[in-house]
Amino acid sequence: MTTTTEDTTTGAYAPEQPARLNWSEHAPEVYKAMLRLDTAARRGLDPKLYELVKIRASQLNHCAFCLDMHTKDALAAGESVERIVQLGAWEESRHFYTEKELAAIELTEAVTVLTDGFVPDAVYGRAAALFEEAELAQLVSAIAVINTWNRFGVTFRMAPGHYHPGQHG
Amino acid sequence: MTARTTFLDDRVRASLQAVGAAAKRGLGDAGLAELVQVRASQLNHCAFCLDLHLGIAREQGVSERQLDLLTAWEEAGDVFDARERAALALTEAVTVLTEGFVPDAVYEEAARHFGADGLAHLLALIATINAWNRLMVTRRIPAGSTEW
Repeated sequence: MTTTTEDTTTGAYAPEQPARLNWSEHAPEVYKAMLRLDTAARRGLDPKLYELVKIRASQLNHCAFCLDMHTKDALAAGESVERIVQLGAWEESRHFYTEKELAAIELTEAVTVLTDGFVPDAVYGRAAALFEEAELAQLVSAIAVINTWNRFGVTFRMAPGHYHPGQHG
Repeated sequence: MTARTTFLDDRVRASLQAVGAAAKRGLGDAGLAELVQVRASQLNHCAFCLDLHLGIAREQGVSERQLDLLTAWEEAGDVFDARERAALALTEAVTVLTEGFVPDAVYEEAARHFGADGLAHLLALIATINAWNRLMVTRRIPAGSTEW
């Protein structure tokens, strides 16, 4: 054979894309305020439930950086690999989760996909039946806050893969 | 209509207000800040937020013509200038996030008009109003309510 062909299936990974902007350096006061907001919104929530909420919202918003962070934080908090894997199909794997977790995940979806509609009474009602008022307010706050982080992560295309659990306290 | 709940931790409310205040300071354009917040609130169907930010927009001198045509800004000819259009395109892409990412063309046009510092603060404002929209819609806070 005289022709040479370049092997395009060597199995090498695609190169990592650089971030569009290291935004926190350009808005340090915003970043500091966001960290205080994050601390305020996680108070009183079970760490595993909190991470499930963060992961599900980050899946819906396609935030790779946030998925890297929150799956690692979930594992560090004692979460199982299979509950993280099943989360994307939770409606078909309900027996992996408690009723309270399911209500929180369902609420996370309704609140995250807000441009398609409102938050249905049934979804809100299921969460309100299982969470007392202050805890429910923290859950809604945590969902709102991860939606905020997701928008920073996606817009500035922050690169996943470099997070170490506990890195941000 | 009554709220589902008006409960919200004071620390969450205060710290989210602080994020928004820092974003607006960095953006340094009060009228544009309101256009962006009204547009996101339209997309997220937040009645409380629309009522609030339309009021502030008028106080800031945003024209009735711009507010009337905001939902159709792409078809509104020269009612919005290039900088405003770049900010509104970014607002839409960042708000409707579950349907995709933020296209390079939208990002680059915003970066061209606002620079790195301005863009970081503009994005922070869009992200912040998206959080308020979620807190108000989920708790169904009525438009004009003083308890939120």
